[in-house]
Amino acid sequence: MRTLLNLLLIFGLALVLGLGSAWYMIEEGSALTTRYVGPWSVWREAGKPDADPYTKAYMARAGRLPITATSALYFFASSDETGKQLSSDCEYVVEGRPLNAAWWSLAAYDGTGRLIPNKAGRHSFNRTDVARRADGSFRIVLARSARPGNWLPSAQQGSLKLVLRAYGLRDADNVFDKAAAERGLPTIREVVCR
Amino acid sequence: MRTVAFNALAVILLAAFIHITAVLSMPYLAPKNAWARISALSDANRMIVLPAASPSHQTLPLMAPDVRYSVCRFNLDDGPVRLSTQILDDLWSIAFYTPSGENFYAITGRELKRSKIEIIISTQNQVGVKAGASLLDEIEDLIVVDTPVRNGIAVIRAPLLGPSYAAQTEAALRRGTCSRNLPGSDFRR
Repeated sequence: MRTLLNLLLIFGLALVLGLGSAWYMIEEGSALTTRYVGPWSVWREAGKPDADPYTKAYMARAGRLPITATSALYFFASSDETGKQLSSDCEYVVEGRPLNAAWWSLAAYDGTGRLIPNKAGRHSFNRTDVARRADGSFRIVLARSARPGNWLPSAQQGSLKLVLRAYGLRDADNVFDKAAAERGLPTIREVVCR
Repeated sequence: MRTVAFNALAVILLAAFIHITAVLSMPYLAPKNAWARISALSDANRMIVLPAASPSHQTLPLMAPDVRYSVCRFNLDDGPVRLSTQILDDLWSIAFYTPSGENFYAITGRELKRSKIEIIISTQNQVGVKAGASLLDEIEDLIVVDTPVRNGIAVIRAPLLGPSYAAQTEAALRRGTCSRNLPGSDFRR
């Protein structure tokens, strides 16, 4: 009886540990597969035919079709600069210099990945429709109610997720430099919470 | 004491085995991968313009609200497939995927440098470079994409240059086709 209990315990523990760690590394990423730059994370090999098994598992679960063959990257943020989870109860300023990309778009989703309904019909700002300052930098306000300038509406409640996609990332020499792109990511700063 | 150490080792080894099995089997088990979602939309070898992502509907998770997409799920069992589309801007792109979402080829408008695109999707033994060359020469600027798979997905991405471009962009994508009607003479196998 004791041996049986012992075996069950071993098996149960192994199941929780094995599946739990697998789930975490597939859902959240890990240092093996994902780069973290401030609040942003990026699956660097997503969509590559020679990607590692974790990235392949993530791809299957995510159901996305990222474009990778031509220097595109997708950055995800669920927290602000300080690591605090993005919440609809708070207002945020997303500020940065233009990414060195042929096109980029910053879109807001709720915690489950849905676009957020709003009267303005505004779900994203991109390189072509964001209002920029004279020096090319931009400032987007993520808030529940209208703000002057680039207002990206957030939800009535719940957590938020930002996705920054950049197509045609290239530096001055026309070389696809992931590291440079990652250094140039915008900051996400909490302004006020209600 | 030895039993505890032995049990701990058993847990770790078994957990590692379960971990590896779970990770490796995920691509085969995940029921809602992109291939499943796109297969549900239409038959093979048809161009489908995906509805614009909205709060109530996204064909694929985390689609861009400011990009319009059209997709062709190709099946090469009966020979090559022809994809025709307009590419209105340098930023547009065409990307090819295996059923598990591996992006084995992509080309952007910037590289194409023209607006009317004809692509033949084939496996290597269907339109060999030698066999096909003379036929393909007849059609100007035809692109042959050799795929490693008989089934796959082609995705055309059209980033909106502004909200007012949506109608024009969607109309251009709707004019795209994906079919078994090959140009020129019949070079089926």
